[in-house]
Amino acid sequence: MSRRSPFAVRGSPDGVRGAVGPPVLLAVIGVVVALLFPAVATGYWIRVVSNIFMYGAMAQSLNIMAGFTGYADFGNTVFFGLGAYGTALLTSKAGLPVVPAVVLGALVGVVLASLMGLPLLRLRGHYFAIATIGVLEAAREIIANVPFFGGGMGITLPISTGAPEAFYGFIYYVLFAVIMAYIGITWWLSRSKFGYALRAIKADEEAAAVMGIHTTRYKIRAWRLSAFCTGIVGGIYAYWLNFIEPPIVFDIMISIKVWLIMLLGGAGTILGPLFGAIILEMLQAVIWGQFLRGHMLILGAVIVLVVIFMPAGFMDLVRKRFSLRAVLADLRANKI
Amino acid sequence: MPHASLLVPKVSEMALLEVQGVTRRFGGLPAVDDLSFAVNEGEILGIIGPNGAGKTTLLNLISALLPVSAGTILFRGRPITGMPPHAIAEMGVARTFQIVKPLKGLTVRENVAVGAMFGQRNGGLPTRPALAKADEVLEFVALGARASAAVTSLTIADRKRLELARALAMEPALLLLDEVMAGLNAKEVEWAMGLIQQVNRRGVTILVIEHVMKAIMGISHRILVLHHGRRIALGTPPEVAADTTVVEAYLGRGYAERQRAGA
Repeated sequence: MSRRSPFAVRGSPDGVRGAVGPPVLLAVIGVVVALLFPAVATGYWIRVVSNIFMYGAMAQSLNIMAGFTGYADFGNTVFFGLGAYGTALLTSKAGLPVVPAVVLGALVGVVLASLMGLPLLRLRGHYFAIATIGVLEAAREIIANVPFFGGGMGITLPISTGAPEAFYGFIYYVLFAVIMAYIGITWWLSRSKFGYALRAIKADEEAAAVMGIHTTRYKIRAWRLSAFCTGIVGGIYAYWLNFIEPPIVFDIMISIKVWLIMLLGGAGTILGPLFGAIILEMLQAVIWGQFLRGHMLILGAVIVLVVIFMPAGFMDLVRKRFSLRAVLADLRANKI
Repeated sequence: MPHASLLVPKVSEMALLEVQGVTRRFGGLPAVDDLSFAVNEGEILGIIGPNGAGKTTLLNLISALLPVSAGTILFRGRPITGMPPHAIAEMGVARTFQIVKPLKGLTVRENVAVGAMFGQRNGGLPTRPALAKADEVLEFVALGARASAAVTSLTIADRKRLELARALAMEPALLLLDEVMAGLNAKEVEWAMGLIQQVNRRGVTILVIEHVMKAIMGISHRILVLHHGRRIALGTPPEVAADTTVVEAYLGRGYAERQRAGA
């Protein structure tokens, strides 16, 4: 029982440092395949895998706030949208190059998280979740109704020079770098004092406070980090799509998908969000291809099945080595 | 009387903690009512009283999980009323909870390490030294064998040890214990008594809430008796055991008689 899975679900330095071989080898193979993929794949599949990286990155960002700190930010797409709009405005109206525009766009989200932090982080559980959805909806309406932001007409970004194929390949590698970086951040979180503070807060906020953890400060920091990471992805998305309007980037369905991915992969784990993204995108690619009409129904069915059979996510199944007995034991324990 | 031999000669006259006229009301009802007492540095102060006497509320007020309705609490002469819980922890006050609060999702070792990372007075240790410190403390409370276990797999007695270990890892000056012995058998109670005294000998001032009379009478230098949120007695264990108000309210005549017969 003390032999931990090499995938290190909780990723803490605690636990047996077992065989380094298999998981590192798999990871290296995975990275090499990912790097070589665009050379052999069609445009369609490059886009699918780019989406995997993008949604994986969003789920990793959400993981910081929801998985580690335990605050159900259902409206985290607001940071995605602010990042997208920040980038769009700075490139089209201020003529900034893309990279600083993306960073500055993400910082707008950080400012919002800082402002919202004090009032909203006092709320617990469901109330917090609802409040964040409110912020998302409000942001969309504000931006849609203020002419400076392009209103309902949206914003078109300056088109980059160069062939489309090269551009989409470039986006693929950028998103790959981003998800890799975010996995690194999550890994750092799992070993750092900051990460332990967040996990203590999630486990029992009162106990954390009497142990000397400044809960408010750490929660706001976590939200700022989550907002920044999400905002970067939003900025890249805007650059990728070339055109954005409020319903596209302030869409609650994005939040739902990102939440599903995080839960599917395993909240609070290091690799869970990435695996969740892989599984869900593959599922969607298959389902959309086959069932033009039924895909929302199937998506809903997936949600229900995940909640019943994999409540701790895919990484937990890996940790239990896909043991059927373990799944059945969990079902019995949850009285299903 | 077993008590005399357990006296540690280092109790100073310096008040580490002072509670001055503290009241806490819930609605119209005072759970703690104009309570005043001081805890001397180096002593073990036992707190006893019937259920609902305000003992746990008192701990919640000292550790700032609840604000006072009136009165002041001083730690080393500084008012701590109104400070947030983490600041009080940083000043050197650690506590356990009557209903234990293990940090789920972290191992036993990590639970204790969190105490060492954030609760120590010099700003806390970095991760690795904190994990090493955790192992030390776990050995001290005899939980070393379960260090890598998930907290959900621990028995109640082990969870209480974990609770204590986490508080000890903070290296506090003042330790608040809330019924750590509830649910322990006689042997475990003896062991817990010894542990508390060992901690006290290292210089930690301890406030112990307990219902196990033998234990609290055996280890406390002084005992504070609460009833309906008020202080009805404060003195050495023999004094308190002989106090008629205390006997009426809580101990019962049978206990007083057994004490007289035993002495």
